[in-house]
Amino acid sequence: MTVLREYAEALGLRAATDQPDGRPDGRPDGRPDSRPYDEVVGPDGTLRPAWKPMAETALSITPATLSRIGHDVERFLADDGVTYLRPGARPQPWRLDPVPLVIDPTQWRTLEVGLVQRAELLNAMLVDLYGPQRLLADGIVPAAVVFGHRGFHRAVARPSNHDPRPLVLAATDLGRGPDGEWRVLADRTQAPSGIGYAMENRRVVSRVLPELHRDAGLHRMEPYFAALRSALLESAPGDQADPRVVVLSPGTHSETAYDQAFLASTLGFPLVQGADLTVRNGEVLMRGNGDRLERVDVILRRVDATWSDPLELRGDSRLGVAGLIEAVRRGTVRVVNGLGAGVLENPGLVPYLPAASEALLGEPLRLGSIATWWCGDPVQRAEVEQRLAGQDLVVRTLEGAIVEGTPEELLARIAADPYRFVGQEQITLSRAPTWAEGRGAVGRPLTLRTFSLRYGSAYRPLVGGLASVRADDSGLPPCSKDVWVLKESPEAADQGLADVLPMTHTRSVTVLVPRALEDMFWSGRYAERAEDLVRLVLATQALAEAPDRPAGPTRPQTSADVGVEVMRGALGRLVGHVHAEIDAELRSLLLDADRPGSAAQSLVALRRAFSGVRDQLSPDVWRIFTSADRAAQELWDNPHSLQIAESGAEMLHGILAMQGIVASMIRDEGYHSIRMGRFLERAMQLCQLLRATTTVRRGLEVDRAVLDAVLTSAESAVTHRRRYRGYVRTGGVLDLLIMDRDNPRSLAFCLHELRLHLDQLPGSTGSSRPERLLDDLIETVDRTEVAGLVAIGGVGRPNLEAFLDQVHAQLVRLAEAISDLHFTTGPAPRPLNALPAVHR
Amino acid sequence: MRYTVDHTTVYAYDDDVTDSVGIANVTPRELPHQHVETTQVRITPAPADQSTDVDFYGNTVTYFQVLQPHRRLEISATSVVDVTGPTWDETAFDQPWERARPLADTALPGAWRAADLAVASPLVEQTQEAYDFGAVSLTEGRGLVEAAEDLMHRVHAGFDYDDTATTVTSTIPEVFAARGGVCQDFAHLMLACLRAHGLAARYVSGYLATTPPPGKPRLVGADASHAWVEVWLPHLGADLNGAGSGQWLALDPTNDTRADDRYVSVAWGRDYADVPPAKGVIYTEATTSTLTVSVDVAPDQQE
Repeated sequence: MTVLREYAEALGLRAATDQPDGRPDGRPDGRPDSRPYDEVVGPDGTLRPAWKPMAETALSITPATLSRIGHDVERFLADDGVTYLRPGARPQPWRLDPVPLVIDPTQWRTLEVGLVQRAELLNAMLVDLYGPQRLLADGIVPAAVVFGHRGFHRAVARPSNHDPRPLVLAATDLGRGPDGEWRVLADRTQAPSGIGYAMENRRVVSRVLPELHRDAGLHRMEPYFAALRSALLESAPGDQADPRVVVLSPGTHSETAYDQAFLASTLGFPLVQGADLTVRNGEVLMRGNGDRLERVDVILRRVDATWSDPLELRGDSRLGVAGLIEAVRRGTVRVVNGLGAGVLENPGLVPYLPAASEALLGEPLRLGSIATWWCGDPVQRAEVEQRLAGQDLVVRTLEGAIVEGTPEELLARIAADPYRFVGQEQITLSRAPTWAEGRGAVGRPLTLRTFSLRYGSAYRPLVGGLASVRADDSGLPPCSKDVWVLKESPEAADQGLADVLPMTHTRSVTVLVPRALEDMFWSGRYAERAEDLVRLVLATQALAEAPDRPAGPTRPQTSADVGVEVMRGALGRLVGHVHAEIDAELRSLLLDADRPGSAAQSLVALRRAFSGVRDQLSPDVWRIFTSADRAAQELWDNPHSLQIAESGAEMLHGILAMQGIVASMIRDEGYHSIRMGRFLERAMQLCQLLRATTTVRRGLEVDRAVLDAVLTSAESAVTHRRRYRGYVRTGGVLDLLIMDRDNPRSLAFCLHELRLHLDQLPGSTGSSRPERLLDDLIETVDRTEVAGLVAIGGVGRPNLEAFLDQVHAQLVRLAEAISDLHFTTGPAPRPLNALPAVHR
Repeated sequence: MRYTVDHTTVYAYDDDVTDSVGIANVTPRELPHQHVETTQVRITPAPADQSTDVDFYGNTVTYFQVLQPHRRLEISATSVVDVTGPTWDETAFDQPWERARPLADTALPGAWRAADLAVASPLVEQTQEAYDFGAVSLTEGRGLVEAAEDLMHRVHAGFDYDDTATTVTSTIPEVFAARGGVCQDFAHLMLACLRAHGLAARYVSGYLATTPPPGKPRLVGADASHAWVEVWLPHLGADLNGAGSGQWLALDPTNDTRADDRYVSVAWGRDYADVPPAKGVIYTEATTSTLTVSVDVAPDQQE
């Protein structure tokens, strides 16, 4: 039995038993059939026409195959680092169901015509509402629907406002009712997200279902991105030969940070945050390294308008650019979508769209919405009040938020402020088979997000989209689906865009904003910090497991035991002590992401730093985390102490893979920043390690055990053995780890590498503070002799101790100086009126 | 009356400000009863960028950016203004207040525009307390102006003028709790009470004559920016070419009076946040700043 046959049979069976009366989604009022539309199986139990071209392949897929594919999907998404962030939570993996939503070309054509018209209408409404307001003056749209909506920004609605095309990219959320018709659930015009996820979904599904994908004959999505790119470039004001476009992101904590970074890197435009931009003389400029400022012509905005300009909108926003609205007003920059576009995400407009379409376009509205009643109108309010008792109505604010409460509570809230609320019909969404491991294909409700782009003189919907499987009573989590729209003929141009130029000449991003350099620098530091800690854990664990240590609680303390204590002291110096028991402590050091300094925590921080510059990175970097996560998972699952060594080693491999990826990066400021971070951190870690292990004498045997472990964790054991033929002495070890310029693990090597990379940053003048600090440090090390360092005083080596403390302190100062000079863009903005401006 | 209005706002910081971008609402409006003879806004130190524009409500707005490091920012506006004091068509006064609600009666001439000033705004929350307070004045069928002025009397009588009671960001519940405040709070309070009952009303920012004309008392709130409210009185007849979209009655709850020729109007909006005399964003390491505001509205001796 194959997956789809089984699904179809179950469906047919249910239909049969449902026929007489009790429908699962039945309405008590006896309105037309409300059994959900199934996206794959028709009422006769056979596949829908859209699936016919692929029927043979589709019907042959077995549960075992789909199970494997399901795992492949998860792995590919993890490898690409695709995440979705719910507010306040750690990034969640993006979920994708392998079974696509397939739409046949005939149905799509109808939908497409409606989407084009709707985008045209919404744009015309924006122009009107922020201009002549004919819709309001003529009573076509009640004024309170617009003035009462928080997305209507009066700062944008000035007589000087002039943006004939404020809507460049619109998204539309659709649901298909039991009658098979698509209806609009909501318009997304503020800063529509999801097109990056849609592309990623396609990339993954085409890899895991190659035969099906080939049989289907789909519209490739790439030409659409080329069109988007060209539309953004053409949005630039004036006649710019080479306009600068940026993608403005709220930052890595944004829900859809992945989507934003994907878009930026696919389009080849820099991903920036508010603090990366500034306004001068009414123009928006992007900060570069040093004092460089580069004019920005177009901003693809993923920050909600309210947060976009602390001068004229929310004063406490750190996500925006002070003066942005003024720059828009003066026409020096285009913001896409226009800053007023959020007013369209307003369910209160829905009842008035047909009339607005007649008034502005002179044609009837083609694509309808789900039934919506605005409570500011007495007749519609009565309808809402009457329907509140039933199950199929939700109450929303004008901003779209669902208002929870008993019918009585809702009635009271509506009565207090009727114009603020709408009632909206809940439709029975169509179902599609969705793979659930162990349960087969489960029919689950879904919605479809489409995208419409203003390209040339008209709107062009993406042929495809992003389907979302909604939370339902199956107990399964929400997920997404790829959307397949079949071509009418194999020769048809992809996306109907025969003329679009391929993105061959993606301008390379020349300027890296200081914030991006800082993220790069820290990614170097975190990667090194994670690596050094894992090595230290492994060396400590190896010492603890040493075969010459007799077992038993009453055995005499051996030199290895003391050695283990010393190594734990080194760990403690870096990350403190939590667990007394050694295995528990080492596991915690690898796994506990909430523990400052742990490998897991450094990896979380590394991921965050990378997320801030995702548009600059090879997608391969995300695989580091996949293998590290897998190793961590094994360690979680396996309490055996041997697993520490095994998983630690695997984590180490993952981290080391980053080196390889960095090695093939273009030699720009970003590369140099990563390398600087790496060597600075390595030098600091080394100082700490030596300070905890080599400055006190503990007897020959203990010292030897400790030095062995130090060499191992500093990845220099082999060199040492070759050079000193197994003769371990403090002097030799220090020579190798401090002075030896040929040893990439030595302090001297780190400092010289650091100098090399620091030199390459544009802010370095030869005499900048970081350079002077570093030169001093190099000189200090060059002047020092090992013989002096190892000199004994009492039980310790006072010279060595002082030297390591001095170097470490100097490294800390150096890190601060680098950050001050190269990554800081001056003080953060704050509102002028900390004090009242009305005299009291 | 002809006045020379000087309004100077000074911010002093304890460290350099390297970039200051701001907006000032300090240019008086041209109105039927108010003619602006001359007006000028000076920013010190000299801004790298300064421009004026007209906002959504028709107010003149000054945008500026100072890029030279400074520890003192001065926004100074000087205007010569002729004020005759507004006159109203009193036939509209006695209409029942219930008929002046633009959300309920969208067919009223000009109702669509007035609707903007009948819905809630960021600083004017239409709380139950505001509704209840307003209901005492807005009794069934009462004449619109009588009811609004009664509300003004009650705000004046029931709340103390007390500049320690509230801050510039005080909310309606806080003003009710404090039973006191300054002109801005009284204006917001009246707006909340009126709008909670569906009436349209706007926040007006302006000045009072420092030395009153002969025979008139000196008003509270002179020597500073002042604020009052204007209530929408719909036109009783047909809306002829938009000319009959209603009139706005100016009421000052701080002084318990209608505005007259002692009042100079600068800007209006939904509430204070739409028309603060100055707002901005500064880039600085400074930890403290002090604000000094001086307003002088001098009657012209030549008149």
